[in-house]
Amino acid sequence: MIGTILHVSWLTLKRDYVALGLTFLLPVVFFSIFAGIFSGMGGGNGASVMRPLSVLVVRGDDEPFSHRFAQELDGQDMVNVTDFVDLAQTVEDTETPAPAHDPEPETELETAVRLVRVGTFDAAVVLPANLLESIADFGGQAPPAKVVYDPSNPASRMMLEGVMQSTAMNSAPGLMMNRGLDMFVQYGGPLTESQKSAVESGQSFFGGDQGSGAGSTGLIAVESIDARQFGKQEKDPEKKTNIVAYYAAGIGVMFLLFSMTGAGGALLEEEESGTLDRLLTSRLSIGSLLFGKWLFFGFVGIAQLTLMFVWGALVFDLDLFSVKHFAGFAVMTLVSAAAASAFGILLATFAKSRAQLSGMSTILILVMSAMGGSMVPRFVMPAYMDRAAKFTFNGWAIDGFLKVFWRENPDHDLLESLLYLAPEVSVLGAMAIVFLAIAGRFARRWQPA
Amino acid sequence: MPKVAQSKVWADWESMDQNPVLQVSGAFKNYGQQPALCGVELSLRRGEWLALLGPNGAGKTTLIRAIAGRVFLDRGEIRMLGTELEQGKGSGRDNLGVVPQEIALYPTLTARENLNVFGSLHGVHGKTLAERIRWALDWVALTERANDRVGGFSGGMKRRLNIAAAVLHRPEVLLLDEPTVGVDPQSRERIWDMLRQLQGEGTSLLLTTHQLDEAQQICDRIVIVDHGKAIAEGTLESLIEQTVGRERMVEIQLEHKLDAHAWQAAVIDPDDATLLRQPMADLAAELPSLLAEIQSAGGSVRDVHIRVPNLQTVFIHLTGRALRE
Repeated sequence: MIGTILHVSWLTLKRDYVALGLTFLLPVVFFSIFAGIFSGMGGGNGASVMRPLSVLVVRGDDEPFSHRFAQELDGQDMVNVTDFVDLAQTVEDTETPAPAHDPEPETELETAVRLVRVGTFDAAVVLPANLLESIADFGGQAPPAKVVYDPSNPASRMMLEGVMQSTAMNSAPGLMMNRGLDMFVQYGGPLTESQKSAVESGQSFFGGDQGSGAGSTGLIAVESIDARQFGKQEKDPEKKTNIVAYYAAGIGVMFLLFSMTGAGGALLEEEESGTLDRLLTSRLSIGSLLFGKWLFFGFVGIAQLTLMFVWGALVFDLDLFSVKHFAGFAVMTLVSAAAASAFGILLATFAKSRAQLSGMSTILILVMSAMGGSMVPRFVMPAYMDRAAKFTFNGWAIDGFLKVFWRENPDHDLLESLLYLAPEVSVLGAMAIVFLAIAGRFARRWQPA
Repeated sequence: MPKVAQSKVWADWESMDQNPVLQVSGAFKNYGQQPALCGVELSLRRGEWLALLGPNGAGKTTLIRAIAGRVFLDRGEIRMLGTELEQGKGSGRDNLGVVPQEIALYPTLTARENLNVFGSLHGVHGKTLAERIRWALDWVALTERANDRVGGFSGGMKRRLNIAAAVLHRPEVLLLDEPTVGVDPQSRERIWDMLRQLQGEGTSLLLTTHQLDEAQQICDRIVIVDHGKAIAEGTLESLIEQTVGRERMVEIQLEHKLDAHAWQAAVIDPDDATLLRQPMADLAAELPSLLAEIQSAGGSVRDVHIRVPNLQTVFIHLTGRALRE
């Protein structure tokens, strides 16, 4: 009896290739994705394969030491440095145009803040003039280095501050030693002869970078600047950027896909019950039917995203109800729901049964969500995974929502802030059209034979 | 159906308009290498109730789907009210109603909502639709349940509503693909009553069914399809005349088998030597003498069955006894 059940179950499984794929491929695919995210492909050292931070360095002067510091920083595994003076104008022009109506030119710090806020760089370091004076100035009056960070990537700030300290030590080891000894003499009394001898030996080991900054009391002082809050005190004191926006976008987009594919299953239920055939013997054409379904699922998607973001605004202080945010949210919700609805229709027309649809949609949505940033923030992914996100619905939708709530330029007017979403809107709109077109072809099986 | 009512149907049939409202000519359809229709000819007259019968795989459903616009014919044409129907399109068939074999309704919608949906899709709107829905609910005796979800209905109620959803636009021709599958005798009788009422109002009905006894009682004319062709057509009486003839088949079950040489006239069943089969044109004259012969030969009769030729006899005669799929 049990043997018969096993035999029947095996025959059923092996003749359903989709179920077979779900059973055996899904675990492998998922394992590969998460292994790629957290371990890299073929790398044994997690730190070495994690995507390095893209850091803009603004040097306060053109002194040799600031060059050396920047080079040391660039030499760190965790950091990829772009010198402000080398920054190609084209990057600024294409990705983050400065507001044309700005009456005053940006300072270098303002530019760095803007470029971090819009995601061109993960973080920026603004070095003061006479950087050497700020090294090992323990509690002194020398101006600090500034680290500009994006709170959507909290790891970047801590990582960069640590790397800065390491770089300071590597850039001027002799200086660090001398200033430390000065502090020791000041608070502990003069060195003995044997101690002086050991110090001289150490100084000769470190070479010619011993500078004599007497009176300094620190490694390198760092002032952290939140790119989202920079300059907001004057412009918009009551509004505070909220990390909920990131999760609302990521989770909202993933569940939008689940809802849409679930709704698309209604088509298959109608097919199985014979209702679809009945509908198509009326005046209704298959094209009209698909369009009607797409429209309805689109409305459902809009309602779902709206509910999620309004909930976020009411409960988690998400800044939804400003004109620019709401307009951007409305545009992104519209195109995201349109594309997700088309995706649901596409899967429903491709699948031959509700069970197939359920399996396929689970795989695809989880894969796209993992790659696109719904499950794991993209800033912790390796660079190739970050690029792969551009091939997913989630990646583009999340990018669009993050542009609205995170990477907005406060100086943009309403039209500029909407134009800023043009790439995401275009891609999602194109996805909707392509998905519907392919769904139309798959739906031919419901047309008269 | 009582004998009187049946006679009336036959009488009505004689007075019917002989112009076909639906005509299928030379219909051919292959699915790959598999022929489904091989030149079917069929005509349905105004106000007629035509039964389309055939074993499984004979081509009935393909023919119904072709008429409904859900199948492209390889060859042949379908005309309704004199106009050729465009193949493969549901549209342009406003005079056609289709009742599918499945319960093609939305279970989460109420009866009224379902009728609203299918009426709208057939181009009935506004007050006309509201009036038609009221009529349909009354027609299928579901007025009391109009606002209940269909998912909670009994099989018979769903079947009735399934039919109602196909007639809201007042089609002149109604195709019914096994409309009484899985319902109890009371519900089935109720459905036939509904359809008779519709026929009385002038609707022409084309019915496929495996309920042969009912088909012979309720339908005016019968078409038997097999291997994609219409192999017989006519009234029940004419089909019997053309096929098995009017002779009764007498079956006599004996207690013990007899000497076969003594029974040249009777046919001894090859599988059961105690069973004799003898066709008889005049029962009153032939049966007593046969029984006397058996007795004189020392035989003992356990049972006597007299088989009256009916549609099932004709059907088996034409399509064979072997099960085919």
